[in-house]
Amino acid sequence: MRHQAKWLLAIVILLFLAPAQAHHGWVGGETIEIEGTITAVRLGNPHGELTLEVNGESWTVEVGQPWRNERAGLEESDLAEGVELRVSGEHSGERLLKAEQLWIDGEHYVLYPGRI
Amino acid sequence: MNILLAWLGETALAEWIRLSRWVYAAVNALHVLGIALLIGAIVTLDLRLLGWRRQVSLGAVGRLLQPVAITGLLLAMGTGSLLFLADPGGYAGMALFRIKLTLIALAVANALLLNLRAGLASATPRRLRLAGMLSLLLWPAALLAGRFLAFVEG
Repeated sequence: MRHQAKWLLAIVILLFLAPAQAHHGWVGGETIEIEGTITAVRLGNPHGELTLEVNGESWTVEVGQPWRNERAGLEESDLAEGVELRVSGEHSGERLLKAEQLWIDGEHYVLYPGRI
Repeated sequence: MNILLAWLGETALAEWIRLSRWVYAAVNALHVLGIALLIGAIVTLDLRLLGWRRQVSLGAVGRLLQPVAITGLLLAMGTGSLLFLADPGGYAGMALFRIKLTLIALAVANALLLNLRAGLASATPRRLRLAGMLSLLLWPAALLAGRFLAFVEG
């Protein structure tokens, strides 16, 4: 029985080491730029999410938490349905973009100053 | 259900959690603390149920660790409910979130069945091992499901 418990402990420890390869945030994807119209918005913690219509395709754009968007100079009315947006950031999944900087009406907003 | 979730998301408390910076961070930290207390105590207890350190009496181990585990569970549930409020529809729509809640329900049922039926003191060794084994699988699985919520696409 004692032996069995040791094995179980080892398995549990291994289980916790496994997730190291998955990581939230930056996954090392390419930096790309897309342009489209916002069709859906959810702002707030843990981070905001926009749906962007880009040439007939639906993209998910992750923006910042409220404080990050605010620091970039964005107001709630800037990220609203119908707004035209150009956004540059990390291509972190199929039709998924993590925004680093974006442009609305020629106005430049930087979410991650350390990454551009 | 969707109406209830939408309503929850519009409450003043939900708005506060969704928009705050440090409150959200603090609630996150307390959620981790709750999980640490729960898993730390319960894994130790489970190992004893499986026969590890048999020279320490099970009664003493239970009296020491069960209150810590229960405190951790209540803290994790309270703070978890607040984190859920930030995006009720989003979380409820995630399969992994529903799997996590199911795992927690099973783990709690496993603990309640052991304690309410036989109790730590009078259960057979086989029963204790079974409960320990199930607990040792279910609680860490719930933790993994919860942590992975942040890494999968909703």
